Amino acid sequence: MHAFEKIFPADDFALLALILGMPLLGAFVNGVFGKRLGKDAVRLMALSALGVAFLGSVLTFFLLHAAQTGGEGGGEQAARFVWHGWQWLDLSRANEAGLIHSGAAPSMLQLEMAFSVDALSGTMALIVTGVGFLIHLYSTSYMENDPGYYRFFAYLNLFIFSMLVLILGHSLPILFIGWEGVGLCSYLLIGFWFDQSANASAGKKAFVVNRIGDFGLLVAMALLIRYTGALDWDGMARGSRGLMTEIPIWNGHLFPASFPSFLTESHSVTVATLVGLSLFLGCAGKSAQFPLYVWLPDAMAGPTPVSALIHAATMVTAGVYLVCRMAGIFTLSPAAMFVVACIGAFTALFAATIALVQRDIKKVLAYSTVSQLGFMFLGVGVGAFSAGFFHVLTHAFFKACLFLGAGSVIHAMHARIHDTDASQDVNNMGGLKQYLPRTHLTFLVSVLAIAGLPLTSGFFSKDEILYSAYTRSVVSPSPNAFVWPEWTGTVLFAVGVTAAVMTAFYMFRVYFLTFHGEFKGWKIVPGWQGAHDAHGADGHDAAEHAHAHGADLHDGTEHAHGPGPAHGPAAREDAHGQQAHTQVAGELSDGPQPHESPWQMTAPLLILAALAAVGGFLNAHPLHIVPLEHWLEPVFASAVDAARLHSKDPDDALMIPLLIPGVLAFLVGSSFAYVVYLQRKGLPETTFAARFPGLYQLLFDKWRVDELYDELVVGSLEALADASVWVDRWVVDGILARLTALLVTVWGHLLRLLQTGHAQAYAAVMVLGLFGLGWFVAVPQPEAAVSGDAATGQYAVQAAPGLGYSYRWDADGDGNFDTDQFGAFGQVTLTLEEGASREVQLQVRNAFGRVKSGSFSVSRPRHDAAAPTALAAPRGAPHLPARVLQRAPPAEGNVPPAGSAAAVPGGTPRGVQ
Amino acid sequence: MTSPGDVLESYVLLSALIFTIGGVGFLVRRNVLVQLMSIELMLNSVNLLMVAFNRVHGDAMTGNMFAFFIIAVAAAEVAVGLAIVLSYYRLKSTVYTDEADLLRH
Repeated sequence: MHAFEKIFPADDFALLALILGMPLLGAFVNGVFGKRLGKDAVRLMALSALGVAFLGSVLTFFLLHAAQTGGEGGGEQAARFVWHGWQWLDLSRANEAGLIHSGAAPSMLQLEMAFSVDALSGTMALIVTGVGFLIHLYSTSYMENDPGYYRFFAYLNLFIFSMLVLILGHSLPILFIGWEGVGLCSYLLIGFWFDQSANASAGKKAFVVNRIGDFGLLVAMALLIRYTGALDWDGMARGSRGLMTEIPIWNGHLFPASFPSFLTESHSVTVATLVGLSLFLGCAGKSAQFPLYVWLPDAMAGPTPVSALIHAATMVTAGVYLVCRMAGIFTLSPAAMFVVACIGAFTALFAATIALVQRDIKKVLAYSTVSQLGFMFLGVGVGAFSAGFFHVLTHAFFKACLFLGAGSVIHAMHARIHDTDASQDVNNMGGLKQYLPRTHLTFLVSVLAIAGLPLTSGFFSKDEILYSAYTRSVVSPSPNAFVWPEWTGTVLFAVGVTAAVMTAFYMFRVYFLTFHGEFKGWKIVPGWQGAHDAHGADGHDAAEHAHAHGADLHDGTEHAHGPGPAHGPAAREDAHGQQAHTQVAGELSDGPQPHESPWQMTAPLLILAALAAVGGFLNAHPLHIVPLEHWLEPVFASAVDAARLHSKDPDDALMIPLLIPGVLAFLVGSSFAYVVYLQRKGLPETTFAARFPGLYQLLFDKWRVDELYDELVVGSLEALADASVWVDRWVVDGILARLTALLVTVWGHLLRLLQTGHAQAYAAVMVLGLFGLGWFVAVPQPEAAVSGDAATGQYAVQAAPGLGYSYRWDADGDGNFDTDQFGAFGQVTLTLEEGASREVQLQVRNAFGRVKSGSFSVSRPRHDAAAPTALAAPRGAPHLPARVLQRAPPAEGNVPPAGSAAAVPGGTPRGVQ
Repeated sequence: MTSPGDVLESYVLLSALIFTIGGVGFLVRRNVLVQLMSIELMLNSVNLLMVAFNRVHGDAMTGNMFAFFIIAVAAAEVAVGLAIVLSYYRLKSTVYTDEADLLRH
């Protein structure tokens, strides 16, 4: 051990690179070369990758243990091993004074690709690699005949890698990489059999719903950068005081006082609450909490080992792990913790009610998973982080075992049924105990554990959560913080116990329907395809369901698996209801029987069942055997302090009394299921369904939450899409495109009339143009521009130039031209008194000797003129800008400037020869 | 003996007359061959003008040069024009330009 401590020092713990690298290598090799390597090599690669990662995790665990207990006096101390990979990002950020309360707040945020392991993540890594290894082993047999064998193991290894990145990441962004990675792998594996569109759309659904949660996680990260200045665990803990900043979320002053008071009052919350709620949104997406749980039951479309590994044991607990990891931030906000606990409790109850009536064995287990995840969030929500995490651990054992057992059952059912839905329908099972002895045993142990048989793992973990829910609450030293209502503990406890009763009931229901009674798979074989179709169409009512299985069978359809000659008529006689299923004797055919699975599948079952049975003693609180809590204590030390967590029961006096409801829940639920499904052969369920068809149907349709989503989210999006289509069709296409095109077309039609296509017509137009041009050249154009300054009274008249033009002027306004001769001088200047105006005459002679004259009036406005007087010019003379006119200074008499003295009195234009 | 400058006016007038005949012929006649001949008339009237002016301003040969250019261009134009006329005749069996409105339709 000392040698290992030397090889892997705490601040450069390269073992993590090995643990992370092996699954990545496995994913790469299997994904890229798997097709050519063959099944044996793929199996070897996948298993060895997981095996090495598991051994590395075990070694890490022991090293952590040594570091944590090896301190002075044997006391527990926090230990964390870090492996610094490389510099990833370098975000410069402004150092806002007053927002960063930590003195050591860096002005630069440097993100390192660093991984670390402590007691919490070390335990989680053990679960992931350990359970992951068992499920890999199981899959080698379960997926034996699948053409996508190598693809499956590549995805599975990639999933383990991503999950380990999530767990071992040293900062939130690294965790987020893993978070997205597991989401991707989940998507890929749900849609593993993507040639069926239902599977593909289930994968899409999981991905999209998870993205909603990921948005929350991103928001939380942004807030954490802003207010703590860091994203790694240590930095966030240092800067967590900044999270107590109050920020306003509602400004009541914007509303008039006459509005209702809830609008006019200003509200503010601490950043910790916002961060906590955002993080919990992410957790709710990943861990399938209400209302984002809808993807998890659909995720059962993937192969069963995937359901066991990703959608029961590991990935879906990532949310709980994140809450535990961020415990120090969550406990700063009683409001966020209240939401976590309440959502958790509600989800636990809500999902349990759905699980009561489902027929698909995997659906029951899926809703059970959602419900158990609710329990976990209830635990961490009331501040019992180690209890919640303990449930993660035990749930990984018994739920993985249950799913793998279900896989084994489905595997056996495939001996007779090759339809996915029918082979998972518990109504087609029954009596499998004799065919699958080992699966039956392990399934029973896991059912007992999840139902809470005393001394099993589920009993201890669930009971501790219920106990904590009753006794604990989160408080804040801040005076205006949210305070948990008095009734919280009682209500949470009652909800939890109710959910526990239901858990025991539905688990035993599945157990009895699957393993006890008569095997009902015999007679659904003839025409099961037809029965299945009718099942889909008949609205899922129980009686009709049985009816569909019995009647409506295609007479001529004979299934390959030996339909006895007696089957067709016998099946039709069964069209009376469910009870008929169990009454048929002498109907057994000599077709293939369900059979036990190979050792690769049963060995993991046995190991997991053993862990599910005895795993509770890791944290048997009532017996005062609590190694796990001690082990995790340093991780939660900062979060679980008396200032933040309040307990009604500091000396654990209520612990034993509060066990009683838990035990009663187990007894009531299991014995009720025993009576209903074993003694009375499921008759009460049929009766119940007949008496309360609406309620039963509502439960069977999962409270129609998916339909609600369809109406609200999908419906509104579709309405938006329809509106967009309308705008596109009528505004973009109609007005912008078609109307423009129409205008162009109309003009084109008009102009086309000119295009006769006759060359002579064009030539005639050319001749006309030539005449026009010739006329313009032949006739002189007397045009001139007047410019000048009203302030000084100096004006100039500039004649337009032309080929061969000569000019003569009458600049002094006496009516006679100043010269008799025409000259080349094209400009005259003149000076005007204020308010005076003058007509300037211009005569132009062109090269042909033709003469034409024009006159221009030039006037100087008065300086006090209210309205600026335009300088009139006959043709095209520019007007002076108004501001020039208004700036005119007082009159200064008729003193001409020196430059124009010669021009004015005599009026002789310069340049006249 | 009259100087070249004295008779220049006659040349200009003659040139203008020939140009006008060519222009009117081009505009009025429908037969494409006649139109080509009209174009030749216009070009040659310009040639006449060029040569006449060059005679007056004898020190530079610009006018003569241009006359030769125009003759060359006119030859090329006739070659191309007659080829077009031939193709057109094969296509439409007519040489009347008012039926040559393919570009429009």
